[in-house]
Amino acid sequence: MSKRLNPYTAAPDSIKPLIALEASLKESGLEHSLIHLVKMRASQLNGCAYCLHMHSAEAIKDGETPARLFLLDAWHESQLYTPRERAALAWTESLTLISQTHAPDEDYEEAREHFSEEELVKLTLLIGTINTWNRIAIGFRSHHPNDRPRG
Amino acid sequence: MTQRLNAYQVAPAAYEPVLNLSKYVAECGLEHSLLELVKLRASQINRCAYCLHMHAADARKAGETEARIYLLDAWEESGLYSARERAALRWTEALTRLADAAPGDEVYAELRQHFSEVEAVNLSVAIGTINVWNRINAGFRTRHPQDRRRDTAVAAA
Repeated sequence: MSKRLNPYTAAPDSIKPLIALEASLKESGLEHSLIHLVKMRASQLNGCAYCLHMHSAEAIKDGETPARLFLLDAWHESQLYTPRERAALAWTESLTLISQTHAPDEDYEEAREHFSEEELVKLTLLIGTINTWNRIAIGFRSHHPNDRPRG
Repeated sequence: MTQRLNAYQVAPAAYEPVLNLSKYVAECGLEHSLLELVKLRASQINRCAYCLHMHAADARKAGETEARIYLLDAWEESGLYSARERAALRWTEALTRLADAAPGDEVYAELRQHFSEVEAVNLSVAIGTINVWNRINAGFRTRHPQDRRRDTAVAAA
């Protein structure tokens, strides 16, 4: 896959407000382990190699276990995730695939059982933001480190 | 539809950076008429009533024609949109439906025929931003103005 353009060098000013949004989410009070899982799951749904590479590396660096990353696709079938994480993952899937799901009541209600209103707004912004990064990285075919053809 | 929560009232500080992002998009240099079409089309795909109400009103206020708003769903079949607008709408659809398929080379080549690199990034940021708003407003069922229950098929005058 050849790169199309590098948005960071082609249009640094355009990326600045996104970086500011990202920075605010990091300081939002949501657990970093949860933030990593949400970013990974949205990036899996959207098929963003660049984002999966980045966020798996960051998650591991922050102490996440490899098993929880490897099984994330199938979180429904595994007990490695807490009820709060499961609610967040369900909401992540609902919102990432919003054109198909329209965010049903059951996912919202489950999210509200485990998140305060304020936390849920932050979680929703987090999901929206990683969805935006996915769009930029996939749209412009950003290369992750070590991304070269294998014979 | 009953509103679930008011995101702005509940977490105003968390909202600020998203408002700043929108402000950047509004001032990024892309034509206002183009941005409204992009916002409307993404909101159609994501089925966000609040965003459709807002951006149809904003577009109309800025001089957009009724026909271009009503036919937007079927822009491919209509001559009402310029080649640049068509390239932007195709990119909007590709990025909004990202989970279905990554935007192919043809779509990207058409985009780059009509948009410089900086414009292409700005357009992508604009598409990402309306996708964030769609998720907030459809996710929390934000009510648009005049959103009240109708019990009969024909609304009273």
